[in-house]
Amino acid sequence: MNDFSELEDQLRKLRPLAPSEDLIARIERALAKPANCSAPVWDASPRWRWPWHFIESPYGISLGFGLAAAAALLIFARVEVESPKREIGTLALRAPVSIVPSRDSSAEFVPADLTQVVYNTRDEGLLFPAGSDQPMRRLRSQKRETLQWRNPKTGASLRVSYPSEEISLIPISGE
Amino acid sequence: MENVATDEEWRVCFSQLAPGLVLFARQWVRSSADAEDVVQEAFVRFWRGNHSIGNRALLYATVRSIALDFLRRNSRRAQRESSASSEMEQSVQPKFAIEDESQQLLAAAVDGLPNEQREVLVMKLWNELTFAEIASALGISQNTAASRYRYALGALKKSFIPQ
Repeated sequence: MNDFSELEDQLRKLRPLAPSEDLIARIERALAKPANCSAPVWDASPRWRWPWHFIESPYGISLGFGLAAAAALLIFARVEVESPKREIGTLALRAPVSIVPSRDSSAEFVPADLTQVVYNTRDEGLLFPAGSDQPMRRLRSQKRETLQWRNPKTGASLRVSYPSEEISLIPISGE
Repeated sequence: MENVATDEEWRVCFSQLAPGLVLFARQWVRSSADAEDVVQEAFVRFWRGNHSIGNRALLYATVRSIALDFLRRNSRRAQRESSASSEMEQSVQPKFAIEDESQQLLAAAVDGLPNEQREVLVMKLWNELTFAEIASALGISQNTAASRYRYALGALKKSFIPQ
């Protein structure tokens, strides 16, 4: 470290710019409120913003993937269910296939299998979720989920596979 | 863990830390105004969290987290708007009260450091955090923090000090 002492002295002579009076005033106003006040932290003049923060938040991403998974489920269910109908010929061609088991239908599918293959996990570091006072670690897992239903009467099966992404917030002890 | 400091102690704490905090946040955001917004949100969130006033590692981790979220949002927005501006280059320039040309060169050399080295340097020199606090704030080991600091100084010495 002694090799750098002269350089450190020079660097320390660089003084960061002082914050603006406005920032000091905003902090003063914030500290004047009760600590458990749930008012928004931002104290700038109100202006409308497109809610990218929600769309880009884990919740928004989860919503997007959830909708995509639901769409994939509907598409695959439509395509794959029709194949055994042609082969077996016992199911009504126009009968809607119910994912929810029905009691008196020959087209009764019951959940048979669920697999999740995680093929990538990334640690995205610490963050403070809105409304949380504790830091949390954000883990993003990419995986492929496969759901399978089976008709015990006909032997027909329905399998849906889709990619999914899960973001986990793991509380950590910051102190 | 208990927030036993008085409001006046929090005000004094902020007035002492504010220049360094803004400089720290300025590494990731484009302007001083944005950096001040980040620092405000972080400091108020830290204060409301009932944390110890002395837990600087957590305070800086909060600033860093909020600044990175801010940068992420702005980067995506910039992509959506097809802005070709080099946002990263603009966002990583610490601002100092420059007194002479040598200081200007030194500040420019600091700006040119890799992000991971510069953030350790800023925390160590202008915020006076210990390597243990830096390590805790960044989620790295103390040895890594110390190494990055030495690398930063070594790089600055090479680029700035006349041979």
